[in-house]
Amino acid sequence: MSTPGIKSRPAATPIDILPTDAARLYTHIHPALVLSLYALRFNAIVADPVPALLQTLIPLSTLQTAYVTICLPPTAGSGSSTPAVVPKTAKKRAGGAAKATSDSNTAKIVPALLSLILSLLAITPLTGITLILFGAPITTHFAHTFLAAAHIAILAFLPLVYVLGVDGERWREVVGLLLPVDEVVGGMVGTLVGAWAGAVPIPLDWDREWQKWPVTIVTGAYAGYALGKLAGGLVFKGRKIMFD
Amino acid sequence: MEDPLPSYEGLAAAFAKAKAEKEKEEASGLRDRTEYAKVSNKQAEVRFKAAHGLLLAFFSWILLLHILGVYLFTSGFLLTRLVLDYNSSCAVPPVELTRSYQAGSPESGCWHPKTFEKAVVIIVDALRYDFTVPFRPQGIDDKPHHYHNAIPVFYETAVQHPNNAFLLPFIADPPTTTLQRLKGLTTGTLPTFIDAGSNFAGTAIEEDNLVAQLRNASKRIVHLGDDTWQALFPGYFEPNLTKAYDSFNVWDLHTVDNGVTEHIFPLLHPSNSSKWDVVFGHYLGVDHAGHRYGPDHPAMTSKLEQMDGVFRRMIEVLDDSTLLVVMGDHGMDAKGDHGGESDDEIQAALWMYSKKGIFGRSNPAKQEPPATAKERPVAQIDLVSTLSLLLGMPIPFNNLGAPIEEAFIGKKGQDYENLALVNRLATSQIHRYQHEYSQARGLDENARSSSLSLWAAAEDSWASLATTKSPSAKQWNNAYSAFSAYQRETLSVCRALWARFDVARMVHGVEILAFTLVVLAIYARGIEGDRTELTPALLLRAVIGTALGLLVGLAVGFGVPSLPFEHTLIYSTAIGSVAGFASGFWYVRRRLISPLPRSIWGWVGVVLTVALSVGFASNSFTIWEDEILLHFLSTFGVLMTISSLRQPDLIDRALGCYHSILFIVLTRIASLSRLCREEQMPYCKSTYYASANSSTSATWQLAIPFFVAFTLPNLLRSYFKNTRSYQGSAILWIDFAFRTGLLISAAFWTMDAADDGDWFPGYGALLKTSKIILAQIVFAIALAAGYSTFAWAAPLLSIETKSSSAAEDSENRSRQVVAEGGSSSITILGYANVHGSRYALLITMWLLAVILVQKPMGGGAIGLLGWQIFSLFEIIDTNKLSDTPVGPLLLGFLGSFHFFKTGHQATLSSIQWESAFIPLKTIKYPWSPLLIVLNTFGAQILCAVAVPAVVLWKQPPKKKGLLGDVAKAIATHLLFYAVINLATTMWAGWLRRHLMLYRIFNPRFMAGAIVLLVVEVVGILIALLGVRLNFLSVAEVFGWS
Repeated sequence: MSTPGIKSRPAATPIDILPTDAARLYTHIHPALVLSLYALRFNAIVADPVPALLQTLIPLSTLQTAYVTICLPPTAGSGSSTPAVVPKTAKKRAGGAAKATSDSNTAKIVPALLSLILSLLAITPLTGITLILFGAPITTHFAHTFLAAAHIAILAFLPLVYVLGVDGERWREVVGLLLPVDEVVGGMVGTLVGAWAGAVPIPLDWDREWQKWPVTIVTGAYAGYALGKLAGGLVFKGRKIMFD
Repeated sequence: MEDPLPSYEGLAAAFAKAKAEKEKEEASGLRDRTEYAKVSNKQAEVRFKAAHGLLLAFFSWILLLHILGVYLFTSGFLLTRLVLDYNSSCAVPPVELTRSYQAGSPESGCWHPKTFEKAVVIIVDALRYDFTVPFRPQGIDDKPHHYHNAIPVFYETAVQHPNNAFLLPFIADPPTTTLQRLKGLTTGTLPTFIDAGSNFAGTAIEEDNLVAQLRNASKRIVHLGDDTWQALFPGYFEPNLTKAYDSFNVWDLHTVDNGVTEHIFPLLHPSNSSKWDVVFGHYLGVDHAGHRYGPDHPAMTSKLEQMDGVFRRMIEVLDDSTLLVVMGDHGMDAKGDHGGESDDEIQAALWMYSKKGIFGRSNPAKQEPPATAKERPVAQIDLVSTLSLLLGMPIPFNNLGAPIEEAFIGKKGQDYENLALVNRLATSQIHRYQHEYSQARGLDENARSSSLSLWAAAEDSWASLATTKSPSAKQWNNAYSAFSAYQRETLSVCRALWARFDVARMVHGVEILAFTLVVLAIYARGIEGDRTELTPALLLRAVIGTALGLLVGLAVGFGVPSLPFEHTLIYSTAIGSVAGFASGFWYVRRRLISPLPRSIWGWVGVVLTVALSVGFASNSFTIWEDEILLHFLSTFGVLMTISSLRQPDLIDRALGCYHSILFIVLTRIASLSRLCREEQMPYCKSTYYASANSSTSATWQLAIPFFVAFTLPNLLRSYFKNTRSYQGSAILWIDFAFRTGLLISAAFWTMDAADDGDWFPGYGALLKTSKIILAQIVFAIALAAGYSTFAWAAPLLSIETKSSSAAEDSENRSRQVVAEGGSSSITILGYANVHGSRYALLITMWLLAVILVQKPMGGGAIGLLGWQIFSLFEIIDTNKLSDTPVGPLLLGFLGSFHFFKTGHQATLSSIQWESAFIPLKTIKYPWSPLLIVLNTFGAQILCAVAVPAVVLWKQPPKKKGLLGDVAKAIATHLLFYAVINLATTMWAGWLRRHLMLYRIFNPRFMAGAIVLLVVEVVGILIALLGVRLNFLSVAEVFGWS
């Protein structure tokens, strides 16, 4: 059956990091920084998850915003970016020689901040509901669950929002895992799989403090993000996820 | 559009009529009408029936192999004790008697002077210890429950008249089922797990026991109450005085109790006291109140108060020479159930009373009965030696218990001589028994070297007493301690010994299960093309292999007598059968492919099934299985959402997303119905009943069945309407019969609650009778009317003739077959889902039957399950997954998940025995056990029934190899349960020394094995036979191709 309703559009290509030295360097430092941040905050999160997770959101957001600003090309269609950005980005992709000017830096920080807001306001509730559907407490621990969701949203989806904007068809491809693998998609899949696997130790009768909700989920998400980003950017780049 | 026509004739006539309008073109591909076609049609029908019969045979063969494997493992795992048929005799004491006491006279006492002439022994079923002692708050918020302070008679008498009465915690050996307990209470020996299953049909005790000893001594024994006694001791009781009552009608709180009370007091009257020597009474009301309402319910209070009154009266009328013993045979858990080994289940109470005033306490601190069952408990097996010696009987040969101190220490609590004497007797009998046992079993004496050295020490201390002229109380006490040390050691040795496993049988059982799993896996996933073509070859070789294996087994069994015959025979038969299958697979090797998954679906299915199975090796993951299944089902749901978003077709994409998200949400809603097992506390809150301490539904829960009745038929109807399949019988069935059945079932549960809560005092009997009739009507609708509809219904089709111009703009895509040409076209509405829609009727029939036997909350969960099953069909269709294992596997996960959502857990105490009485007043074989199976495994049964629809849904009627696809789907579904069964079996065997074996691993193994066998029987008898009826009906209209 033909799909006349859908505009024919170019197939998505894997995202390359910006061709700057800073980007090449920071993309490798970034996962280490994210993991260090989590390791640093781990005891506080175990001791009292809600305030600790809330406070950790700030440095995490900073790190992720910095990462996308330094390393990733912003979306072509993002509403806030001036039209001037588009040819610039295109030129960068094509030429690969242009240096980032201070002007383009501001132009990138704004979409980065918008991505942060979108991830927190739009994606966090969806992630939180997904956590509840997977068995998170339905009548209690809302703050715990939605803070965990916020961490997952910022880890997994902030870079995607930055790169893809709010294009509905692209987001269908994101959720349908139709995008070719790159470090952004890898980071998302890694975060989600990590958070999924984070549920495994919860039922064990080890009576450890860190088994409490949602510590293991968040831990899995952070570890999964770092692993997924590395694997997506280095090992599986450009591959398609096949279902059949 | 014409009216739907109910029968084949009508359908064919309409078809012919429509056809006549366009005679020029034969509607090619629909139905040939030539003579040749008729012959080939007949041949095709015969071929189908043969292929179907062979499938039945194949799956029966797999079932047989599973039965053999499970049996062999079970017989090695749940070992029975070797029963010695030696009996103690009055004239032969186990040891030389001292103080020139002459053995052999029951009149004065066989081995020891007797204390009482007569005894009244009363069992108050499930009398937990904390019911009998005053409530002591543990904190400020601690309030007494309904079961507290309601039966104070025992405590009062023990405190006020310590020489007349004592009250002690009375610890049962698990399993805490009544039959097992009665065995322990009369033989004085340890129970073995295997008998737990025979609760439905008790078998006579063959071992030496107290009742038999009394009978041998020509005592006249009367039994009143629970008829389990009659099964255990047939012909032992005075026929004209004994009254037995049906024990399993747990919804009846009063018949048994009133019967016992009515008959026991006349016996206690002095004018009748010469007619009997010992009375055994067995009250069931407390137990039934627990099962029905849970302990924390006003019904329990009034039941306990009634018991209190009974025993106060009994104290009044008791004569001086009679001993009164009252005890619980086990306790009950927080919901009022029992069977396991949790503290609440094993802690019963024991109270002895006599007007002679011979009881004492060795220490003033023991004056008051213990506050909790943790202090000064006595074992239930201690009762046998105590009663035997008090009544002057010989101690039964196999007894392992010790005499209870309070009964022999004397009024002043100083008679250590007597205590030492009775302990020496009991212990010597244990020693004699141990000697015979190890001889009979061929055991090495080293195995009990530690207990033998204790025996020597006890003998020494006794010998030193004999040389002393007038031994002091301290010396007697030392001798007593020495004997009782031997008794305790022997008891613990025996516990370990009888938990000894026959590892060879277990390993061979696991081997059979593992090989069968491989056969099933290859058949399910490792064959290319149509399975029905290969089944004859496989089956033939399996039959030959089985026969050869049987012959080898017989030859070896008879030829080598040192080998255990039954074991050899089973093992060799099963291995022969598996070897036959292996040679069959070798014969068809060109068609074999790797059974490993080829898509992400297969891998996810394998990984999650294996993860679940591996998890059963851990007690935590076994305890939290319900939550794990929720996690896994949501995972599948998310994957199906992702897959739906990948679909190129917009409609498929939207429908797939909708149904996948619906599937996840429904799973989560169902997950709100929970019945927590003890080990999940405090992280789990039960919602299945009104409260955690209850087994009745809350009033608001009664609305659930009505809600289901009003919504579910409409929801299911929409799935038929999608493909225009809501035709013919479906309308009558779903809109009328199914809905009526659901409404009546809802009415049943309301009446049940009215009966439970006694909302209409005085109308209880009327309510009982009418609710049973309602339940029977629902069964008649679901199974009798349902099966006749299903067997005779034409496919859900209707024929529509349109002018060809109108047919052009038919909006309904490829859902119809259009025979075009000429001026008009024939449209068959419902053609696209002719197999699936018709088969789905069978699912709704069983849906109705399963909903009836679930409590209101469970009915809601099963309603959700029905909805999920139909959503799953749509997901499978829109994502084109009917060839992947995802459908059958997901049905396995769904069935296991909803097992927990219908108020069950993998524990014995969560079995809802009362479901046997939904449509019946009394126990009726085989219906009562079948009802309990339908209640317990309703979710798995329903999912197994639904499996063929996964491959039939929206498949064209003449698709090649459809029967083979059904076989593949059923085999895949069985594979899921077979993997779980193999895993739980292996873990139970491997962890056989684990502390949690009987609490966690063994119940999960038993549940896994029973589920596998039940699902196999359902797959054969319901699913496969349903498929046959379906194919015959569809072919009646469209012919065989």
